[in-house]
Amino acid sequence: MSITTSAWLVLAMPLAGMLVISLGAPLWRGKLAGWLGTLAITAAFAFALITFFKLQSRPEDAKVATSSLWDLANVAGVHIRLGIYVDPLSVLMILVVSGVSALIHLYSVGYMASDRGYTRFFAYLNFFVFSMLLLVLAGNLVLLIVGWAFVGAASYMLISYWYRRTTATKAGIKAFVINVVGDVGLVLGTFFLFKHTHVLDYGPLFKSVHVAFSKNESDLVIGMLLILVGAFAKSAQIPFHTWLPDAMEGPTPVSSLIHAATMVTAGVYLIGRLHPFFEWAPTAGDVGAIVGALTLLVAGTIGLAVTDLKRVIAYSTMSQIGYMIMAVSSAAYVGAFFHLTTHAFFKALLFMAAGSIIAAMGNEQSLDKMRGFRRAMPFTFWCFIIGGLALSAFPLMSGFFSKDDLLYLIADRGGWYWVLYVAGYVGSLFTVIYTWRLIFRAFWGEPVEQAVELEHGHLWHAPHPFNPANGELEDTEVGFPGPDHHIAEQSWQMKAAMGVLAFLSIIAGVLELPFNITDALGKFLEPTFADSIVAHPENNSLEAVGLVLSSVIAIGGIWAAYVIWVQRPGTSARILERTRPLYELFVNKWYFDELIELVVVRPFAWFGRWSRDTFERIFVDGALVGGTSGIVRAGSAAVRALQTGLLRSYAGLLVAGLAAVVLYFLIRAA
Amino acid sequence: MIAVLATVKGPYIDWSALSPVLALLGGSVLVLLAGLLRSRFTREQLVPFLALAAFGATIGLAIWQWDADTLVVAGAMRIDSLTLLSTLLVCATGVAATLIAWRGQAARELAHGEFFALMLVSSAGMVVLVAATNLVTTFTGLELLSLPLYILCASMMRSERSLESGLKYLIIGSVGSATLLYGFALIYGATGQTGYRAIAQAIVTHHVAGDVLFLTAVAMTIVGLAFKASLAPFHQWTPDVYEGAPTSVTAFMSVATKTAAFGAILRLFDTALLPAVDDWRPVWIAIALLSIVIGNVGALGQSSMKRMLAFSSIAQAGYLLVGVVVVTNLGVQAVLFYLAVYLFANLAAFAVVAARERETGLGDDIGALRGLGARRPLLAVSMTLAMLSLAGIPATAGFIGKFRLIESAADGGYTWLGIAIVIGSMISLAYYLPVVAAMWREEAEPALAPEVDTRTGLPALAGGSPEADRPRAGWEVQLVALVLGAAVLAFGIFPQPLFDLVQSAARGLGLL
Repeated sequence: MSITTSAWLVLAMPLAGMLVISLGAPLWRGKLAGWLGTLAITAAFAFALITFFKLQSRPEDAKVATSSLWDLANVAGVHIRLGIYVDPLSVLMILVVSGVSALIHLYSVGYMASDRGYTRFFAYLNFFVFSMLLLVLAGNLVLLIVGWAFVGAASYMLISYWYRRTTATKAGIKAFVINVVGDVGLVLGTFFLFKHTHVLDYGPLFKSVHVAFSKNESDLVIGMLLILVGAFAKSAQIPFHTWLPDAMEGPTPVSSLIHAATMVTAGVYLIGRLHPFFEWAPTAGDVGAIVGALTLLVAGTIGLAVTDLKRVIAYSTMSQIGYMIMAVSSAAYVGAFFHLTTHAFFKALLFMAAGSIIAAMGNEQSLDKMRGFRRAMPFTFWCFIIGGLALSAFPLMSGFFSKDDLLYLIADRGGWYWVLYVAGYVGSLFTVIYTWRLIFRAFWGEPVEQAVELEHGHLWHAPHPFNPANGELEDTEVGFPGPDHHIAEQSWQMKAAMGVLAFLSIIAGVLELPFNITDALGKFLEPTFADSIVAHPENNSLEAVGLVLSSVIAIGGIWAAYVIWVQRPGTSARILERTRPLYELFVNKWYFDELIELVVVRPFAWFGRWSRDTFERIFVDGALVGGTSGIVRAGSAAVRALQTGLLRSYAGLLVAGLAAVVLYFLIRAA
Repeated sequence: MIAVLATVKGPYIDWSALSPVLALLGGSVLVLLAGLLRSRFTREQLVPFLALAAFGATIGLAIWQWDADTLVVAGAMRIDSLTLLSTLLVCATGVAATLIAWRGQAARELAHGEFFALMLVSSAGMVVLVAATNLVTTFTGLELLSLPLYILCASMMRSERSLESGLKYLIIGSVGSATLLYGFALIYGATGQTGYRAIAQAIVTHHVAGDVLFLTAVAMTIVGLAFKASLAPFHQWTPDVYEGAPTSVTAFMSVATKTAAFGAILRLFDTALLPAVDDWRPVWIAIALLSIVIGNVGALGQSSMKRMLAFSSIAQAGYLLVGVVVVTNLGVQAVLFYLAVYLFANLAAFAVVAARERETGLGDDIGALRGLGARRPLLAVSMTLAMLSLAGIPATAGFIGKFRLIESAADGGYTWLGIAIVIGSMISLAYYLPVVAAMWREEAEPALAPEVDTRTGLPALAGGSPEADRPRAGWEVQLVALVLGAAVLAFGIFPQPLFDLVQSAARGLGLL
């Protein structure tokens, strides 16, 4: 099996899984659909591993393999192939995506067990994995856009998965609309690149960058900014981030897989993939870095204030992706993809643990109502602790090394990048505090009713199933979370998936230890980023400073959170009172929704109403549509009137037509 | 006697190159003879099987000869990949039509043997028409294809409409043939030649391009061929004949005749009359535009599926003509590609119509399709794909076909004809989509949805219902619908094999 064959098989597995699950839907009883889905993704992971080993066995100067199945179009100078591009970066991505996806499928087998849309869920989930793998394996920009749009569609379907909930359908629409704005940006940006390079395949595209463009040329910068719009929308960066917190309406495995570990990192992948262009258009790269820094700070502050368990983690995701976008735009590639990998592990873990608590709470997600789950759910608790430690970059956890590597590489560029470095550490402090606020509030303190009941061995159920977001009663036919809840303590599938991720969250740091103790990831990714024009010299003292700073922030932050929420329970209320305006700003998410409403939605809605009332009713409906359809209808009547059924009239028309044609020729001859 | 024979020497004939035509003709004789046997099994099973075998053998021979490029029978015909591709398309249509007709009423009334023998002869005529490289052979081919069709149209001898259809076709078709023959005679008069290549040379050497006699000849030739390809304004027979003829015959006619007519148009105008291209191009453009308009607006509001498809086929022929008038290799490729995808979609649609005709008693009315999605999802899916493909929706073969036509128009400097195709397709949505909507959104008519006893599978009420009393259409009709529906989808996603096929076929004409 050649390297590209195994890469094609990586793509084929989830596609086959989706087809089998959805076409055979009436046949799958019990948990069969879930197991089929898990099997397909596990197979994809196996092939991803094979691809990885094949790539490793290749010589250093041949780390790129391409293959195309057939031409999608070859016209007018546009040559689009159905092709893939296998290089260290795409192999890293398929490993992370298929690996984490396999675990989340396993988790879902247990977690979604009582959902009446079980089969549909796994069909969607397989479709998502297929789309995501297509996105990262695509060999040209067109196929990337196809994958990009597919993951958007999958995300929409899964956010609105519980379609009887109005909140879920609205959130799905919001996510889809914002993502389509991003898609448009990506397509237009691609056009700007194509206009100058005339190629779409990655290999020739990267080669042509210095030929087709002069450095920081306006067309290139505009194109890259448009592509950034696509990246921002998918990766929930300011100002396209408002859909991500709402996307938490989807089932928790979805939040874990799509809205934390994989899809939302697509923007990071895109910038990394197109790094020759971003380096050649430093203005666009700087915009990316600044937006990433802003996002990590803004999202961090909101995380301090909101009380919905999943939304806190969602803001944390935004913030962490902010780090990655900042890093990848500042040419700190290895740091960005290292953090992407470790983040995928610990954030997926945190979401899974959150799902377990939410199930124990009978679908309730508000932190205000959770307390004291430490004894009732020891396994979930320890997973949360591990995930929390990794997220807050606690010394020797995976997040510690990855975040430090990332910030060190940014600072290494000097100049104004120091601002980003400082922003990163400020963001770190926010991260630690909101993470541990979450943990202390959910697990410490006097156990709530649900926790007490669980300590006695049975799971609490609400008397009537309700939607936690707005309190309305569930329509219990289909498209709601199901009558039963599943927690990690009672489901071995969930436990297994979380256990593996917890282990990885602890040790994944060994991929890239500081001071070049290990440099596995850096070495592996080197061929992809070898053409980078940004050099990274060794600077051990800077790295050491970062590590110390990081440890201090993590330990100090945890201690502060402990004081505020455990030792002196009233403190948070007092801080809140003293900083009311700030709190209002944070808890209202910096008023971004309102701002977008005011700046985008209202003017467009007004314009839409105006055009409907005047322009459309009079001009379009009256003249254009009415006129056209009138003409067509009259034409139809005329044709049918001519269709008398009388032979003589047919022959007559034939002769008349013949006469007309002959006449034309005669006039022409004369 | 022997002395006479010795002096009259027949021309050298390359039998292997001619074998596809011979297989069709031989098959027809065999089928006709087998049809004379009395045994019911022979007539109803063996005869259609023999017809299928003849079509299959022809397909095999055409593939065997694929790389051939020879003039046969003293230069009367040219067997090249254009001929062979047309042969493949005609025979594929023949296979589908045979399957649809197999257990239908029309074949029974014409005693099977005659029905299938006529279909085979007609197919042979089509192949000859496309292969012909002189005017006499062209006309022979045309009549060989037309005469059996007149009979086939009237094959349901107890149906007034079928008889009317056959008679109308015969009379109006004779007018068309006569016009064409007159045109050919005048071409001979103007150039003194009947061979295509010789005509082309004569036009250049004798400077006849502006000659009145010659131009009249071209005009009459255009009208005659436009009539056969059912192009407006010579289309009027089409809806009546399509509607009245048995569905299997309509299916055969709508696809195979069109393939043959366009093959002949391509060969005649892109070789023999090529030097006079500036004379004839405006006329073909006018006919194309008229066909697109008349076909599309005429199809609106038709409740008979066959009538709707007849008008739609006029519009499709108009699209095809765009690929002819650009006179480029790309245009020829586009025409051939579109003929292939038109075959898939149209035959799939006719197969579903035929199936419902037998099952419901509503004939070819759109009402017969109502609620099909819930009751017969596979048929409905095929029909949906066929309609979407005819309308040119992406991910179907029809989209790629239209895309290629528009591409060739733009490439040949006729972008505005491409726009005409797009506008025509927009109008066409207004009659293709209601079919899809009727199948998936509407309930079946109450009289058609009998209560069925779940235990016995029989209607619960004595007396039954129109639908339950009729047998389900045979598996073969559904198979045709399914296979062709799948082809629509498959070639919509993966058109490359078809691209390669038409590319090698278009090479035969030698255009750039």
